[in-house]
Amino acid sequence: MNRIAIVCPGRGSYTEKSLNSLPVDHPWVRRADEIRADLDLPAIAELDRAERFRAADHLRPANAAALIYLVSMLDATVAAAGHRVVAVAGNSMGWYTALAVAGALSFEDGFRLVQEMALIQERHGDGGQVLYPLVDEDWRADPVRIAAVEAALASSQGDALHSIHLGGYAVLAGTPKGVAHLLKELPQQRLGGTVYPFRLLRHGPYHTPWLAAVTDEARERLAGLEFQRPLATLIDGRGRQHSPWSGDVDTLRDYTFGPQVTEPYDLSASLRVLLREYAPDRILLPGPGNTLGGVLGQVLIQEGWSGIRDKAAFQAAQAAPEALVVSLRR
Amino acid sequence: MTLNRVEIVERRLDAYLEGAVPSSESLPPDAPLSRSGTLTVRRALALFEDQVLSRALDVTARELKRLNQGFYTISSAGHEQNAVAGALVRTSDPCFLHYRSGALMMSRLRQQPGSTPVFDTLLGLVAASDDPTSGGRHKVWGSRATWVPPQTSTIASHVPKAVGTAFALSRARRIGLPTALPSDTIVVCSFGDASANHATALAGINAARYSARKGTPTPVLFLCEDNGIGISVETPRGWIQDAYGTQRHLHFFDARGELDEIWETVRLAVMTCRTAHAPVFLRLETVRLWGHAGTDVETGYRSIEVIEAIEARDPILQNARFLVERGAAHPATLRTLVQTARDRVQAAAREVVCRPKLTDRATIMAPLAPHDKDAVRRDAVRVADPEARQLALGGHLPENQKKRTLAAQLNAALADALIARPNTLLFGEDVGKKGGVYGLTMGLAKRFGAARVFDTLLDETTILGVAQGAGHLGLLPIPEIQYLAYIHNALDQLRGEACSLAFFSNGQFTNPMVVRIAGLAYQRGFGGHFHNDDSIGALRDIPGLALCVGSRPDRAVKLLRAALAMAQVHGRVVAFLEPIALYHERDLFEAGDNGWLSEYPPHDEVLMPGDVCIDGAAAQDILIVSYANGLRLSLRAARRLEQEIGVRARVLDLCWLNPLPFDAIAQHAAECGRVLVVDECRATAGGVADAIVAQLAEHGPRGIEIATVRAADSYVPLGPAADLVLVQEVQILAAARRLVENSAFGARR
Repeated sequence: MNRIAIVCPGRGSYTEKSLNSLPVDHPWVRRADEIRADLDLPAIAELDRAERFRAADHLRPANAAALIYLVSMLDATVAAAGHRVVAVAGNSMGWYTALAVAGALSFEDGFRLVQEMALIQERHGDGGQVLYPLVDEDWRADPVRIAAVEAALASSQGDALHSIHLGGYAVLAGTPKGVAHLLKELPQQRLGGTVYPFRLLRHGPYHTPWLAAVTDEARERLAGLEFQRPLATLIDGRGRQHSPWSGDVDTLRDYTFGPQVTEPYDLSASLRVLLREYAPDRILLPGPGNTLGGVLGQVLIQEGWSGIRDKAAFQAAQAAPEALVVSLRR
Repeated sequence: MTLNRVEIVERRLDAYLEGAVPSSESLPPDAPLSRSGTLTVRRALALFEDQVLSRALDVTARELKRLNQGFYTISSAGHEQNAVAGALVRTSDPCFLHYRSGALMMSRLRQQPGSTPVFDTLLGLVAASDDPTSGGRHKVWGSRATWVPPQTSTIASHVPKAVGTAFALSRARRIGLPTALPSDTIVVCSFGDASANHATALAGINAARYSARKGTPTPVLFLCEDNGIGISVETPRGWIQDAYGTQRHLHFFDARGELDEIWETVRLAVMTCRTAHAPVFLRLETVRLWGHAGTDVETGYRSIEVIEAIEARDPILQNARFLVERGAAHPATLRTLVQTARDRVQAAAREVVCRPKLTDRATIMAPLAPHDKDAVRRDAVRVADPEARQLALGGHLPENQKKRTLAAQLNAALADALIARPNTLLFGEDVGKKGGVYGLTMGLAKRFGAARVFDTLLDETTILGVAQGAGHLGLLPIPEIQYLAYIHNALDQLRGEACSLAFFSNGQFTNPMVVRIAGLAYQRGFGGHFHNDDSIGALRDIPGLALCVGSRPDRAVKLLRAALAMAQVHGRVVAFLEPIALYHERDLFEAGDNGWLSEYPPHDEVLMPGDVCIDGAAAQDILIVSYANGLRLSLRAARRLEQEIGVRARVLDLCWLNPLPFDAIAQHAAECGRVLVVDECRATAGGVADAIVAQLAEHGPRGIEIATVRAADSYVPLGPAADLVLVQEVQILAAARRLVENSAFGARR
């Protein structure tokens, strides 16, 4: 039996290719749509089966988050069968999915969490997120790019902050002024055919103190969530492990409604702990898109894991029969 | 045998968990395990998991060794109840830990998000260069983020520095330089029952009690993990309680029994230490499984019955039973927990074995003696604000004084250091109130306060322990060793501890200090060997230790500036040797000529490692290389050489005895053609002569002629007989003449 780890994606993972991912008559989808109906939100089933991708609908936080959660949950459940899940992590909103994948929340509570947080975040926090690479084309740390990020943050006079430590990328967050500052100050750089910096569409300044108001509202609206001790170790966005035996539901709740919202999400640290302390045979990436495949590759390179020291080595390792990182979708 | 015993112990736990009957009662996660206790089910399970991880690491260490992929097998097996201390002490409480601390580290690092203790331990076992603690230099327990400076000590030699750190916590606050640590921080120092007998343990514990008796906050928790044996020598039953259970100024706690009882006792001990700011001795009952290390065949000195009886007391087995019987966990739950932990460790081990190792000498040695010349020079010329200086010195600026003695100028230089560097502490025996046996620190305690300039108890081990502790907390200690002969009493504090720290922590921890050592021979006032020791070989033998000696007053001041800067900038340990016989010397050639006095050097003048001082730069007939008293004798001999046979000698003052200024020596040797090394220390490796001659012979300019004059290989006797074993002016003169007259170059070039 393989020892597997599961890493759940964040909200940036939903794309045009993600349409038609859901078995629309699955009980989870039906239950999700019942909850959404109460909230006056369009049905997931309709969004999934839409003829074409409509950014305004599909990227709206309250829709994208729900879609991603459902696809991830269904993928993870299927993929985990027959394996031993040793650790579960997630990126940003992927933390909520991770809670449910690990059994710390029921499917329904996990869905409520994802849905409500997306709605609350739609109401709070002007500003947004900016993506910028910290590595070169070989996915090795690029000191010039790292220095550029630090310099841009330093000169933002507090209007921009680290948001997510995302392997070879920095996700930065800012007030409207901060975002403008970042887009102006960060020198244009190319990585894998994409030009950076760019602003993430429909993303707020997540994981910063600007969302402090979210925490209070979320605690109130989601007071009924029943956190449980996870069935597999959860690794949060600070790299803290929540064990199936000694994990504490209060700690999980406090983290989810507190620091997870207002402090930088360190996915790199989370993945580092997952690799070093659990050394899984496979790392499964459920959910739409494949945004975390490269990020995991970059963390493996940072770690020199199994001798992987650049992008070519990662790609070669991935091409081998028993690849470590398994993306369940493209 | 050993591997079998490992399997037997592992199987016994498995067998128990297979066959155990679950308790009829099942406690909820936050229920306490005993009626009035504070250990909850959840915390107990966390401890158990940490203990099992530690055990799995020990098992894997032996497996890695068997496969020749791991290099360290001293294990924590049987000591896992120390996880309780790891959980109850804060990650901001400095911990100086002995080698059986696996479970303690697992539970301590559980408090630190993002930490990877399992993987880090494995990296240490295989000596991987990315081991985050030592960089592949040693398997040590350490963590920069959670204040665990790595210890290599197997002989309790880390106890004095732990006490020093506890002492320095409040001292730093008192002088207005608080550390980043909370005000109720405690220091933890662990060692075994056998190590509790070491002189250094006794010195450290004594110093803590002494300090507490004087009313100084000394919050140190001595954690004595009593497994009843040291390698093959059994500790008499009850010895630790006998030795430490009833000492005044030392709170004693005895942690034993079931996990919840141990928890409460450790909790009380930690609380006492934290609230009373006083030394606490906590005995923790443990057993030692599987011998001292993987290579130790325990059946050579213990019967199989005894070994089995000890194995039956395996704390992990005991805790499993306890958790099941109390209804804290179902046996199946613990089975899964144990199997998961073992699988994790084995999987991680498969990754670490392919991690790179240290492959070149320069990388290995990089943390040993870092030296950025420019940075050190910039720091060395640091001078206090002129007004503050005027105020502190009462208007008597040393640069405005007439020429003065070595003692007077060093006193002034120390005063300047205390003014310009608010983090300096000056201490030792008689340093404070009396102002030093030779008056060197006279007036400094009064001027700078007893918090910064103070007397210590009469123990060199403690003095250096305080220095290490203060250095750890960002202070810049200047401890004094009253006589060179006394350093041997405490040498391991420099050799095994202070100088090894940067090396074994890959430069992550340093304990900067400038150790003033009054020494060398030729004293007229105070005779006999112990006040005239003439051997510095033991100091030169220490990797990474910088050693300098000031002979003339101005040069000594310039050396002290460099020494302090090296300590400040790089955390270096610098020994600053002071020739006692020259402290109050005024004359060079004739009585009353004042030739040994000098002015206070300008602040921008520094003597850095590699720098030398030259007298008679124009002379080319012979080069005399010397230092300290030998320098003065050489200068006198040089004058006679010229007067008597017209030979002109260039005299080189080494200034730095480690590292030796080989480049400068070689350059001047090449210009003079003949080299006479005048080494006032003992002939056989007590001094520097061998090293200089060997270097010149192997790497020096070709065709030069070399001779030496050295002291006899003897202790120094009392009275005039001392002259018979020490280097004398006439010997230098004779040797120089011989070198010149027998030289292939003839009498003059």
